[in-house]
Amino acid sequence: MGLFVLLPLVLPLSAWPVARLAEQHLHPRTATRLLSAVAGVLAVCSTLCLGLLVVVGTAQLPGNPLPDGWSDPEVRAAVPYDEVAGKLAIPALLAVLAAGARTAWRHAAVRRRAGRALASLPDRPVAVLPDPEPYAYALPGGRRGGGRVVVTAGMLAGLEPAERRALFAHERAHLRGRHHRYLLTVSLAAGANPFLRPLRTAVAYTAERWADEDAAAAVGSRRVVARAIGRAALVTRGAPPPGLAGFAAAGPVPRRVAALLAPAPAARSWPPLSTTAGLAAWGAAAGTTASALSSANSAVTLFQILRAATPL
Amino acid sequence: MTERERGGAGHPRRRGQGELEGQVLAVLRPAPGPVNAGWVQERLGGGLAYTTVITILTRLLAKGAVSRERAGRSFLWTATADEAGLAALRMRRVLDGEADRKAVLASFVTALPPGDERLLRELLAQAGDEAED
Repeated sequence: MGLFVLLPLVLPLSAWPVARLAEQHLHPRTATRLLSAVAGVLAVCSTLCLGLLVVVGTAQLPGNPLPDGWSDPEVRAAVPYDEVAGKLAIPALLAVLAAGARTAWRHAAVRRRAGRALASLPDRPVAVLPDPEPYAYALPGGRRGGGRVVVTAGMLAGLEPAERRALFAHERAHLRGRHHRYLLTVSLAAGANPFLRPLRTAVAYTAERWADEDAAAAVGSRRVVARAIGRAALVTRGAPPPGLAGFAAAGPVPRRVAALLAPAPAARSWPPLSTTAGLAAWGAAAGTTASALSSANSAVTLFQILRAATPL
Repeated sequence: MTERERGGAGHPRRRGQGELEGQVLAVLRPAPGPVNAGWVQERLGGGLAYTTVITILTRLLAKGAVSRERAGRSFLWTATADEAGLAALRMRRVLDGEADRKAVLASFVTALPPGDERLLRELLAQAGDEAED
């Protein structure tokens, strides 16, 4: 097993260039699905390996409830740097589980509270709130299960009729495509392994791009969607989220507008290897497969060692 | 968090600001006409102090959800927000309270860093020009 058990913990690093390439060169729908799947698999593998290290680490501790045989030298020899790695893995796994639980709980709580806030309104697919603060959200779930578009009067006032149609089409695309599931997946993955955080940022962007493209198809004009996003951003203009303001690179909004003003992306689902997009897709597939294989290898090996070490 | 919720003398669970505002507005809306704070306090139940009711009414006034008129030494209050207005207040509360709502609700646009605004205006000008061609 050797160093292979540590590989899934660091392999998510390989997703960084892939996320960058996919974001720029793949169709946003493909990019969202690919990156979410990659993030999910890498997170599961990483957590599985952490779990294996915890078994070895716990077996070293005095008074542990595990079978005595599990602390035998041959078990420990299966893990490199077992003294340190095993013990470090225990708090790390606890932190991962806590982060996952927190993310899932928050997700459910926001949806529940938002649903309750709107409970007194008629059950229609669009809720227009008389609030001068401009914002618009796609709220998944609800009584009909189809979700609801929540938009304020302040946001609608800043847009022309065609741009409002673009906004509604964008939000409906989020609901129809169940984009919140991709966002939840990458949030959970980012909690499981900090190296996966760039994938969360990338998917948050590609999911918006996906809805933008769907909206452009629905209203029949890429330029109208671009204008809607631009104007909405200018009326929303508030304090930028901390940690973003300092970056020199353009934020997601100008990039979305620029992408809509450029020609529509090709809707190929799996691009050939010779292109940059193909490189991204195949790179992601290779990294994920390597991670899955090495954690499967580690799991099987350790399982066999532990079974051999367990007195029957 | 649990401690904060359980805190507050005499109450099993301290109610949040937004929740109280919603309750006060819900009591005030079906009122036959302008009423005083004592009327509201009576119908609210739950042992809220008179000063608390006044505080909440004043907060709702600042948000434009209620109006008031002077009657002798006190004020008479009227609800101006309807169900939708109340929902808007509650929704704002949810959004303000959740730091990482980004992960749950896909916002139409995110806030613009300073440099992006100029870039965006240039792009929009381009979008406008091309539209006129």
